[in-house]
Amino acid sequence: MAYNFDWSVLWRQPYGMWLLQGLWLTIKIGLLAWIIALSLGIVIGTLRVTPWKPLRFFASAYTELFRNVPFLVQLFFWYYAGPMLLGDRLGHALNQIIGLNYYVAIFALGIYTASRVAEHMRAGFASIGREQYQAVLSTGMTQYQMYRYVIIPYALRIILPPLTTEFLTIFKNSSIAMTIGVAELTFMSYRIDAETFHGLEATTGAMFIYLLLGLTVVRIMGFIESRFKIPGMIGR
Amino acid sequence: MIEIKNVSKWFGDFQVLKDINETIKKGATVVICGPSGSGKSTLLRCINGLEPYQKGEIIVDGISLSDPKTNLYKLRQKIGMVFQRFELYPHMTVLKNITLAPMKVLKKSKKEAEKKAMELLERVGIPDKANEYPANLSGGQQQRVAIARSLAMEPEYMLFDEPTSALDPEMINEVLEVMIDLAKEGMTMVVVTHEMGFAREVADEIIFMDEGQIVERGTDEEFFTNPKHERTKLFLSQILV
Repeated sequence: MAYNFDWSVLWRQPYGMWLLQGLWLTIKIGLLAWIIALSLGIVIGTLRVTPWKPLRFFASAYTELFRNVPFLVQLFFWYYAGPMLLGDRLGHALNQIIGLNYYVAIFALGIYTASRVAEHMRAGFASIGREQYQAVLSTGMTQYQMYRYVIIPYALRIILPPLTTEFLTIFKNSSIAMTIGVAELTFMSYRIDAETFHGLEATTGAMFIYLLLGLTVVRIMGFIESRFKIPGMIGR
Repeated sequence: MIEIKNVSKWFGDFQVLKDINETIKKGATVVICGPSGSGKSTLLRCINGLEPYQKGEIIVDGISLSDPKTNLYKLRQKIGMVFQRFELYPHMTVLKNITLAPMKVLKKSKKEAEKKAMELLERVGIPDKANEYPANLSGGQQQRVAIARSLAMEPEYMLFDEPTSALDPEMINEVLEVMIDLAKEGMTMVVVTHEMGFAREVADEIIFMDEGQIVERGTDEEFFTNPKHERTKLFLSQILV
């Protein structure tokens, strides 16, 4: 028997609404996780190159731990083991929170991606010449001032292209949150399949929505890149 | 006054500085020359604490750099440094390059810092470049901005590490002129350079270094016309063609 295509599952109610709700959740998870990833990643990446050994060790340990464990395992760990690790009372209280899976997804995705941002930061720092650091210090600035006012803003501009990739990846990785029941876009396309048996159309629809979302991010980052480009650097 | 007493420094097993002794008085201009790898740039970096040394002592205005209690950041505020490759901050305009340290370190107001920066740009001859980015400037202009950036901290000492080596020949003079003016105004300067014309004009002392040691020092024309040491003769004969 031939398959009967029914593309109307993409806009027919309630399915069209489900996809929109899923997309909205995907965007929220991605943006909030990105805020965590970027700010934490900058800090961890900077700690990796500071002169203080214990901080450097902490930052390396963080990076290696989170970038070497599959994200799915991390997500399960935080969702199932996380509350238990906090002890009976606190864990129990946590489990009462409505939408805990949503918060866990943001948290897990944020601190996982932070380890990747931290590595990019390290690459950015390494690409700045030793004498540039010396030049900053020679003006009397402290280590903190040097990183805060010169080196970090400089490194961030250098690593904007790989940061764009990370920003894109965070939206794609957010689909894994469906495994702990977060009703984001991928979850919703499966839900449409479960109700209508038109998974092919629903998945194709989700695919195009992700594609559009990604292209939008690329456009935004392209704008940021041209706004913050370093004059005289090639390839822009 | 900068006093360098019996300073030795090693990179691993390799000794880059061997028992260096030198006193630089306030207002003096000292030129250091010598072949590459002789330790002159390293010596310069020891003076403002960018490189540590393992033996001996460097004392700036009575403060020892090797004393663990010495606040190197504070000390560097009065020792400016100019680098061979300028090392301007490429993502900031010329004006921001110059005003950053005065605003963050000396806590000057933006207005005050910018006023001073414009005076300095006037002094090095490029006030019209204030809002340009370093990449849009010629090498000579960039180096003059770098000098202005150092001067903005109102240092008492200035270190120059081969300030004209990365420049096209026709841009060397515009940088040297600024440096000569500085020297004549009484700035205390330590200059690593092979510009012997500059040395002849303003140096109070010329030091020749080779293999981590001070081989010869001279205070006048005698150093150029009648060097005592064979190594100095050979070196000078090669750069004074």
